[in-house]
Amino acid sequence: MALEGLRILDFTRLGFGAQATLICGCLGAEVIRVESTLHPDAIRVMPPYIAEPGERGEGFGAATLANAAGAASANRGGIFYKYNTGGKRSITVDARHPKGLALLKDLVAVSDVVTESFAAGTFARWGLGYDVLRQIRPDIIYVSMCGFGHSGPDVSHVTMGPTAQALTGLTFMVGLPDRPPAGWSFSYLDHVGGYLGAVAILTGLLHRRRTGEGQHLDVSQLEPATALSGALLLDAALNNRPSRRAGYPTGNRRLHPPTAPAGAYRAAGTDNWLVISCRTEAHWQALVAAMDRPAWTTDPRFASLTGRVEHANALDALLETWTSVRDRYEAMHLLQAAGVPAGAVQDAADRLERDPQLAARGHFTSLGNAEVSPLPLEGVPFRMSATPPHTGGLLHRGPPLLGEDTAAVLAELLGMTADDVELLASEGVLS
Amino acid sequence: MSGPLEGIRVLELSDGTTHYGGRLLAGLGADVVLAEPADGSPARAVGPFLDDIPGIDRSLAFWADNVGKRSLIVDEDADLLELLAAADVLLHSLRPADAQRRALSFAALSARFPELIVCALTPFGQDGPWADYLADDLVLMALGGSMAGCGYGPGADGLYDTAPLACQEDQAFRTAATYAAIAVLAAVAWRADPGRSDTGRGENQRGQFIDVSAHECSASMTEWHLMSYLCSGETYKRGPHPTLTGADGRQIAALTPDFLGPHVFTRMLEMLEADDVAGALSDPAFADPRHRAKNYGEVWRALKRLAQKHSAEELYRMGQKAGLPWGVIRSPEETLDDRHLAARGHFVALEHPELDRAVTYPGAPFLASGSPWVMERRPPLLGEHTAEVRSQWSAPR
Repeated sequence: MALEGLRILDFTRLGFGAQATLICGCLGAEVIRVESTLHPDAIRVMPPYIAEPGERGEGFGAATLANAAGAASANRGGIFYKYNTGGKRSITVDARHPKGLALLKDLVAVSDVVTESFAAGTFARWGLGYDVLRQIRPDIIYVSMCGFGHSGPDVSHVTMGPTAQALTGLTFMVGLPDRPPAGWSFSYLDHVGGYLGAVAILTGLLHRRRTGEGQHLDVSQLEPATALSGALLLDAALNNRPSRRAGYPTGNRRLHPPTAPAGAYRAAGTDNWLVISCRTEAHWQALVAAMDRPAWTTDPRFASLTGRVEHANALDALLETWTSVRDRYEAMHLLQAAGVPAGAVQDAADRLERDPQLAARGHFTSLGNAEVSPLPLEGVPFRMSATPPHTGGLLHRGPPLLGEDTAAVLAELLGMTADDVELLASEGVLS
Repeated sequence: MSGPLEGIRVLELSDGTTHYGGRLLAGLGADVVLAEPADGSPARAVGPFLDDIPGIDRSLAFWADNVGKRSLIVDEDADLLELLAAADVLLHSLRPADAQRRALSFAALSARFPELIVCALTPFGQDGPWADYLADDLVLMALGGSMAGCGYGPGADGLYDTAPLACQEDQAFRTAATYAAIAVLAAVAWRADPGRSDTGRGENQRGQFIDVSAHECSASMTEWHLMSYLCSGETYKRGPHPTLTGADGRQIAALTPDFLGPHVFTRMLEMLEADDVAGALSDPAFADPRHRAKNYGEVWRALKRLAQKHSAEELYRMGQKAGLPWGVIRSPEETLDDRHLAARGHFVALEHPELDRAVTYPGAPFLASGSPWVMERRPPLLGEHTAEVRSQWSAPR
């Protein structure tokens, strides 16, 4: 695997940081999650819970309140399983115990990368700031992943995905004209921030290989997002056309390139939708033919792309008379066979159960652990011919139970015996 | 100090969907060269255009994703092969059949260039029943699941009168292009790793093929949606996310993450009491999360009372002072005025000498103490570096 031999001592929590080390784990890096039984990662103990056999777990929602204290196990928080594939291992160490801190320093000495996602300053207060880390190992690659990063006037600000999405324009970019933004229902920037965290780890690795030097890579959840708005910044600054203006954002329509018909159209059934997007004359002609040439398609208003864009509302209403009586998948396949870009709006159940492409690509990998039966989990969505990534990482295993690898890691990396580990545990160091 | 990819040559042959990934590689110091047809990358034809005047070198969409690259015009695939002899990476968006037809399949390329890393970013990947299907970003956002989770809530009758929504500006392809860049970095790292694992293909077979499916990338970015379904058997129904509207009509994202611990509510209550809007929340019963969960309407009513008294920007700062992950909803261009990003030196002005003006672009996606983001070149004019690249890439390294 591509990153075989790279060891990451991983203190990240929640989604943003864990996404970065997940990617590296799937690429073969050895990722050792350093966790705490006293303060478990919130996504280990919050709903939605993976059900006991034969029962249904709780949904997500107001239930997030019946939190940590109420969780029966630190191994059933569903979101943990999204972010902790990659063959990650888990050890528990109390960093506030002097012996725990010493142990962590010993682990730093034999690691290539240290990752963490605490509030700025927290890790340093534990006694593990970059200055300390590089005394222990001068070429250490230290990747901090924190909402606003580790410098700047608002360094104390905290983020979750939706916070960063609001601040960087991404929430604003989802919505219908002249209504408040609809935004995202999930933390897109936990993913994107995590991708850039993985890029930062790889940057550290490549730079170290060239120069022999380590460094501190300071990843925030804001900076990875600013380039996601594409041309909008430039259009505002150069053409004096701010995106905060009447009529923008334009729902599912795209101003560039002009495309019509384009959007989500009702399909048969309740709240089923089909996306169609005709960018070219060929797409339009193929659509007309696939629909068996309804009379309205000969309307002179729709004779050119310019006309179709200008009369998009009328066009959409007419097109919907065709889509709304058709099954979304049947219509999608009919249109695709004719050469029209089209796709069903799929939710999570559809992806898992009704998407033959994801199934054929092996998108989901069945992985579990001693407490949780195998689940179809996601890893990295690309293939490599010489160094194939694996959702279960180098060890081909599922997300770790809290602390399940403590004894094994201390034995392998620090040469500790079972008695050594037992003693530390009895002193509360391994909690 | 230099970028970690200094000396790595990337040839980008693309319909535009890979450009964002190529830009990341350029920022890491790679020599990224766009191999363009005589009429330019299709992205050059996409608006908006500078001063709204279309032109091959005036596309702002092209500019945004091509900072730091060079451009060369390639008329024939034979020329392309010559360039590939000197390249480390080919980043392309060719469909499998097109690659085959042009003798640019990985099999053909790796026979000639065993060290070449080839990364193909396509809508659905190289194989599978949908491999030949057509998709733009809207189709990918639909199939991938983002759209199903985004949009306005249902009406009083429980029925939706508005469609699911996709974010503007090609987010599925941006995610895919980011994954392409990550995979290329991993392949470069492995290729240069003296202790790399043996694939049994012989010492000189250090190149490889990277197959990025934008559909898979899009399908893997909906955070908790899949796990929620696996846990509960229910799929998420799109609807409003928590926002508060300030006295100025602007909104903030107003998360109250009680699941992080009891301190979250304690500090929120302090903020509300200081502003005399806590109301019933001052009742000690609300310290109990179970009571709070049952009466969450009271929490929300108090927050709305707070919101009515302050502008969105003030609410953002007040919430943050109380440790809440609140953020004012900005339009993208409003980030240009953010003091924090400014202090971190995020936005970078690059000279466009032919226009006699500087243009401000988003800069480093993270701060690297040892290998700063490389951002020196404005996006290339079409074919601007044809002679220069040909000469440099044909010389021995």
